Amino acid sequence: MPRVFDAQPAVTFDAVWKKFRRGERHDSLRDLLPALIKRGLRPNAAALGAEEFWAVEDVSFEARAGEALAIIGPNGAGKSTILKLLTKILRPTKGQAAVRGRVGALIEVAAGFHPDLTGRENVYLQGAIMHMKRAEIAAKFDDIVEFAGLAPFIDTPVKRYSSGMNARLGFSIAAHLDPDVLLIDEVLAVGDMAFQQRCIERMHAFKRQGVSIVFVSHNLQAVANLCERAIYLQRGVRAQGPSLEVIEQYVRASDRQQAATGSGTVEIVGGELFDHRGEPAPVVEPGQVMTLRVSYRAHAPVSDLLFGFLAHRSTDSLLVYDANFSSGELALRPVRPGDQFSVDFRFRAHLTRGQYHLACHVFDTATQEYTSRMSPVGIFTVREDRTFAGIADLQVTSTLAGSRSREAAPGIAGQL
Amino acid sequence: MNILREMVGEQIEYRELLASIARRDLMLRYKQTVMGFGWAIFMPVLNTIIFSVIFMRVAPVETPVPYPIYAFCGLTAWNFFASTLRFALSSLTSNPSLVTKVYFPREIFPFAAVAVGLVDFAVASLVLFAMMAYYRIEIGWTVLLLPIVVLAQVILTAAVALLLAMGNLFYRDVKYLFEVVLSVAMFATSVVYPVDRVGGWLGALLALNPMTHILDAYRAVLLERQLPGPAFAASAALGVAALALSWWRFHLAEYEFAESL
Repeated sequence: MPRVFDAQPAVTFDAVWKKFRRGERHDSLRDLLPALIKRGLRPNAAALGAEEFWAVEDVSFEARAGEALAIIGPNGAGKSTILKLLTKILRPTKGQAAVRGRVGALIEVAAGFHPDLTGRENVYLQGAIMHMKRAEIAAKFDDIVEFAGLAPFIDTPVKRYSSGMNARLGFSIAAHLDPDVLLIDEVLAVGDMAFQQRCIERMHAFKRQGVSIVFVSHNLQAVANLCERAIYLQRGVRAQGPSLEVIEQYVRASDRQQAATGSGTVEIVGGELFDHRGEPAPVVEPGQVMTLRVSYRAHAPVSDLLFGFLAHRSTDSLLVYDANFSSGELALRPVRPGDQFSVDFRFRAHLTRGQYHLACHVFDTATQEYTSRMSPVGIFTVREDRTFAGIADLQVTSTLAGSRSREAAPGIAGQL
Repeated sequence: MNILREMVGEQIEYRELLASIARRDLMLRYKQTVMGFGWAIFMPVLNTIIFSVIFMRVAPVETPVPYPIYAFCGLTAWNFFASTLRFALSSLTSNPSLVTKVYFPREIFPFAAVAVGLVDFAVASLVLFAMMAYYRIEIGWTVLLLPIVVLAQVILTAAVALLLAMGNLFYRDVKYLFEVVLSVAMFATSVVYPVDRVGGWLGALLALNPMTHILDAYRAVLLERQLPGPAFAASAALGVAALALSWWRFHLAEYEFAESL
């Protein structure tokens, strides 16, 4: 069914703040009176009490029909809270959260399941919880069961299901909603590879139909594929904009903590990344020649070293390349304390679009330990529009190798 | 007025969910039981036997109709009230994953408890009609007023159910307090004996109990072929007012449920 792509945002989140209380609330009447007195004494509801903190701090965004927005950040950054504010489970302390149209939430997709009921009974129950009409569920029932791949077990109580089967059935119900806005919270963590792939395809299909998506995930590759824009949360909004740029900032921030571990006899001082013209090049095309120049400083005499060069895809930390170069290959003489030198790693970025970060290490073959490691030493983005997904640029070309066709019968052509 | 429209509108919008949750609770209640709906009959029947021994042999009490049917009528209706409230009380706290993770009007949980109680009540009243036949009690035209009496009880029960469900979510003391109050309340209501026999200032106080007038209205229209008195009308009106008030309070507090559970 085609939708009207209008200019009004389907999801609006306007300067939203949400306050949470640390620890237990007053759960029994004994604690009620002191709490009531305190509440009466504090005049400003927007101010923080001693036991309170901001779970969501001044966050604003919107998403129009057919747009997908990602929310990324470390655990406890308030990502799931934002989705709960959008579904109206929670109400903002300050600001406005609004969704236009029917909301589908892929959050705890099996929340309404009851273990004693059969799969069939639970499909109807969970469907009703997701606000589907009974007739609608009945019409889609076979598709739902088929998508989940659970036809033989549909009359078995779900307490006998594995956790994967449970989640598959729940996701399958949600995937057959007909929403205007879809909220997704880390559902890709369940199910096997084939099922995950089906889920991702489903989300892309929703998006093509004009559904607005707000996607919370730690799977940065999925974020990069699905969403044009992203928000990076960590005690407030750290970054907001095109998803690749936001992911880069997030990856940099989380990588910084891992740098520099090792014995320290040969230290990595730093690195610089250039393109073939010697310009600093964060954005390149596939196959472009690049050079990573890494500088080292020795603090002890060492003779046999291995210089490691690694490349990871930033979004999912997939190891793309890992090789060591010995001091013999580099014709590097044994180093003495105070020596400084640098190594140029020249390579071609035969990669598909995405973000990559380069890491380096130094390994002492005599002591069998790392003297120093650093990640990232350089970060770059490959830009191209050919591939849909993948990692290696196989430089595929396609040519027509031959062609056969029959002339259409005139009668049929006439009818058309 | 706006908030009232929102409250009722939501219930209409989510009516299928109310039916689904009620169906679930009904299915679960009797799944893996041998007696099934027999349990809905068992408690009032057992209590009728016990109280018949007490109030016919030990301390005879005068009732307008034969005592066993007087008691069974009262006990069945009281059981609807009490078991619904007991179930509604924990309806929010026993569904934490739904309350904290999915949005829909939370009133559905206590309302579903009322619906489930109503089904049990209907099953148990089959026994009542059998007893009426046994005691050769004629059915008069006043039986047509039975739906109004049932509705009055449903409304009053729903009002209390909303308050208990919400109260127990914020303060778990409510659960313990409820059991104490309920066992006292049964004897402060004309369930197994007419409380108007108490007399004095205590009798005057007990006459204010709306449940007594609702139970007496059942007996009037079913067993005595009489119209319910003005006290019933007042009790029904009180129930409507109580429902409006407790539903409104519940609706305002709904947003805090997910944070407090």
